[in-house]
Amino acid sequence: MKKKLISLLVTTAMAATLLAGCGNTEKPAEDSAPAETEASTEDEAPAEDAAPSETEDSADEAAPADGAANYDGVTLTMWSMWANTEPQGKVLQEAADAFSAQTGATVNIEWKGRDIKTIIVTALEANENVDIFEEDYQRIASTYSQYCLDVTDMAEAAGYGDIGFQCFVDQQKEWAGAFNSIAEQPQVGGIFYNKDIFDAAGITTLPTTWDEFLAACQAMVDAGYEPMALDDAYADFSLGYHLSRHVGQDVLGELSVNGGWSENEKIIKGAQELIDFVNAGYLESGAPGAFPESQNKIGLTEKVAMIVCANYVCAEVNNNTGSNINWGLMNYPAVDGGADSSNAYAGANSLAISKNCANPQAAFDFIMFLTSGEFDQKMADGASQIPADSRNTAPAIMNGTVETLLATQAPLKWNMGLSDNSDLGPQFKDVAIKLFEGGFKTGEEFAAAMDALY
Amino acid sequence: MVPPYFNERGDRKMKKNRGMILAFSLPLTFSLIIMYLYPVARTVLMSFFKIESVTSSMSTWSFYGVGNYAKIFGSPTFQGSMKNMGLIWLVGGIITLFFALLFAVILTSGVRFKKFFRAAIYLPNVISAVALATMWVQYVYSNDYGMLNKVLEFFGLDGVKWLSSDNKFWAMLLAYMFGAVGYYMLIFISGIERIPADLYEAATIDGANKVQQFFKMTLPLLKGIIKTNITFYSVHTTAFFLWTKMFSPVNTEASTIVPVVYLYDTVFGSMGNTGRDAGAGAAVGVVLTLIIILVYFVMNKVLKDDDLEF
Amino acid sequence: MARSKKEKNFKQPWNWSRELRLLPGYLIVLIWIGFTATFLCWILGASFSTAKEIFSGKVFAFESGFHWENYINAWQSQNVAKFFGNSLLYAVTACIGTLLISAPGAYVLSRFDFFANKSLKSSLIIAMSVPAVMIIMPIFSLTTQLGIKGRILLILLYILMHVPSTTTYLLNFFATLSKTYEEAAAIDGCPPGKTFWVIMLPLVQPAIITVTIFNFLGVWNEFFMALIFASSAEMTPVGVGLLQIVNAMKYTGDYGGLFAAVVIVFLPTFLLYIFLSEKIIAGVTGGGIKG
Repeated sequence: MKKKLISLLVTTAMAATLLAGCGNTEKPAEDSAPAETEASTEDEAPAEDAAPSETEDSADEAAPADGAANYDGVTLTMWSMWANTEPQGKVLQEAADAFSAQTGATVNIEWKGRDIKTIIVTALEANENVDIFEEDYQRIASTYSQYCLDVTDMAEAAGYGDIGFQCFVDQQKEWAGAFNSIAEQPQVGGIFYNKDIFDAAGITTLPTTWDEFLAACQAMVDAGYEPMALDDAYADFSLGYHLSRHVGQDVLGELSVNGGWSENEKIIKGAQELIDFVNAGYLESGAPGAFPESQNKIGLTEKVAMIVCANYVCAEVNNNTGSNINWGLMNYPAVDGGADSSNAYAGANSLAISKNCANPQAAFDFIMFLTSGEFDQKMADGASQIPADSRNTAPAIMNGTVETLLATQAPLKWNMGLSDNSDLGPQFKDVAIKLFEGGFKTGEEFAAAMDALY
Repeated sequence: MVPPYFNERGDRKMKKNRGMILAFSLPLTFSLIIMYLYPVARTVLMSFFKIESVTSSMSTWSFYGVGNYAKIFGSPTFQGSMKNMGLIWLVGGIITLFFALLFAVILTSGVRFKKFFRAAIYLPNVISAVALATMWVQYVYSNDYGMLNKVLEFFGLDGVKWLSSDNKFWAMLLAYMFGAVGYYMLIFISGIERIPADLYEAATIDGANKVQQFFKMTLPLLKGIIKTNITFYSVHTTAFFLWTKMFSPVNTEASTIVPVVYLYDTVFGSMGNTGRDAGAGAAVGVVLTLIIILVYFVMNKVLKDDDLEF
Repeated sequence: MARSKKEKNFKQPWNWSRELRLLPGYLIVLIWIGFTATFLCWILGASFSTAKEIFSGKVFAFESGFHWENYINAWQSQNVAKFFGNSLLYAVTACIGTLLISAPGAYVLSRFDFFANKSLKSSLIIAMSVPAVMIIMPIFSLTTQLGIKGRILLILLYILMHVPSTTTYLLNFFATLSKTYEEAAAIDGCPPGKTFWVIMLPLVQPAIITVTIFNFLGVWNEFFMALIFASSAEMTPVGVGLLQIVNAMKYTGDYGGLFAAVVIVFLPTFLLYIFLSEKIIAGVTGGGIKG
């Protein structure tokens, strides 16, 4: 196991072949630790792998083909978006310790929590001593790119093409013209549903079109279930998902920036569909609830079947309600005469290397150490997340997510363009909540309310 | 070195005081200069430039005139946030300060268990706002199990969706005010307590009842404290932030937005939008500061100091 | 509404007609406190519950018993004892430092006209009203570039952060003190500086204690500056620790642990608050000389 991981560090073409050969086709079975036991894994980590590499002292440059790189004396400072008490943080710390034991490098992790978003730019601008940092991949690409290394070459040498999800790489290149960050915790959106309810309602094939979806909803109602949960926090996400199925993300983005909603037939039609959906009583009775009121009902009553959200909703509901829902994921249905509907919302927390980093190869090696193979699996299992290494297995609760991600060519953004207008975003959200509250009688009324904002 | 401007109220020996005035005001002056001069000047300057990041070096700034101000005042979201802030200031301020004064007066009127009451009313200020907000959203306002709806149910009334988009702002304001009352009460109490008791004794002997005493004595003598409280309430209103975040998770909602949240979203981007505009953010900061200064000066004109001493 | 300071000095026998007159006051306060107590009990109850119970409105039912492990988890998840130590250090030094700068400043600003008086007062208001992020970020940038770090910086920033509000708050209390105190002191040959420390400062003791409570809590609960400037775990105060625990618990759905952490952080603060308020000795201003 360890050898395989070490081989990732090797930068020669030969090593790349070698790596492909010993790729993680067999699962790192021994560490399929369930989510609840992550506290104990902390202690096991150092014991599990042995002495640091015995190879020569040519520190940061390429090491011989089969040996581990020797990073004695190298110190890497990493700013994390987690806290060391969170499952993600625990795996991170464990990986850092293991990496140190293996290569001799010291990895200092500073836990900045989610506020890293506010302070990282200032730190990078001021040349603060940050080698690696963790952030949202979209923000890294569009905001921090100029402070980050392009990792294209290193990634190619490490055979990243076979490991990661290509859509994140492509998307970054489109935004930033560079490949700056390695996805660490991918996210995917869609309709997450309780498989048991689908079975009970006799829904055997997943609906792929809006009409089939409505029929499925009716089947659930008939079987005594409430089809859809919705919280105010995700009202704009749901609205954006539906409208983007009609006009596509780009048009939705243009509309949100420039207005003209009433002139767009498809928008009116889409809004009308949602209004009909609400009026048909397919929303759970308390929806839209105050987050996380409505989504919790999926677990509390086990009578509510679905929610439009990203994958973390599954773990959230299970943890908050102490339930064990049999989760499934389906792509948001296609609509009549709509745009391409194969894509799903996808995002990722990613790792980037700062331009000031003195040992980029060491930093990159640590990133790969973290985002592939053993520790990626641990991260996925420990935090109930999608693995970043597409060869790893998603935990049961994330069933279907890897497939959806692999099928996604061009990921949708959060809110599918509704957020392109940063200024009106909060207003859109209010209109979205109103829509799901039943505040509009017709699609025209909704479109007029949107246009009234400009 | 020491300029000859000192002109103390009375006719005391000025020379003696000069050294003290200098020694006492210098640390304060230095504190303000060290901590605030550079950031404040920078913020004011930034508001006239097109800038991406709050801390980017000046070489990357490009002059934008009043463009940032045009942008924020043209934005319905900013207008909405100002309206919300105005409501928090006016409605919230009147209610909060009224209750704060009421409790301060009650607690200093000779009730028993005064210390206990004072501690209990101040209590919400000691608890982390995150816990308080979670409590309000999940317990007090909850549709199905909420305290308020349980109370309504008890009286045979239908439950209300307290957190629907129409009610959310007021629900948030109520939660905020409940916690804030204790803070201003404490300030009022410290003001009332230093009014000499013999004044009241004299008034009682003269036949003034409690209500007369309150309006004729307590209130005028508290004028300075009221000013302090209004100043603090105004400052806290412009800094209103956490409750909005707690009442609209994930992405900001227009119904609860306030200027500082707008500033954050503009400066640091929001979920799904990475656009940053530190210049516009600085303009928001400048506007907030100007508002406070305006409130401060209007208040000083309306509630004139009449050099009460006691 | 005469405040009866005598009450504090000796036990007053129950005077029923007097208590009856105060009845409306009692009622209003009791209703309010009733609400506070309900809320507090809910938070306390939540800290012994599971997330499921919290979200299904069964906090007071304790169907699955008391979950003491919430407290154990919260306590063990972070080095809470160390955080308390750090916070205590920051809060105490910051409170003292702030007072040492603010009290003399407020005193001369409120009682003497000198050339920078008006502009200093206005500066205080400006300093208070500029959004904190506009102050903190440039300072963060500056100190990073200059390579300044550590506890001293954080304490200094906490002091400076609280100087404007503390000074503004104290202004009014000094302004209304009678001149006769200083006159009497001057006649006795007391130098003005000493007059301040020995005579004037003790006269505003209630205000000093109130503002110290505010400052103490402000530093105790602060997390943003601590997050930025306290770069190592060694220096982390409770505010950041709480934030991290709260985030961790929230994202892992351990809401019981979240509330337990909140209670753990709240208790010492509250005890300290009780202790400090005991120290408010009213009536200091009652005696003395009338102007």
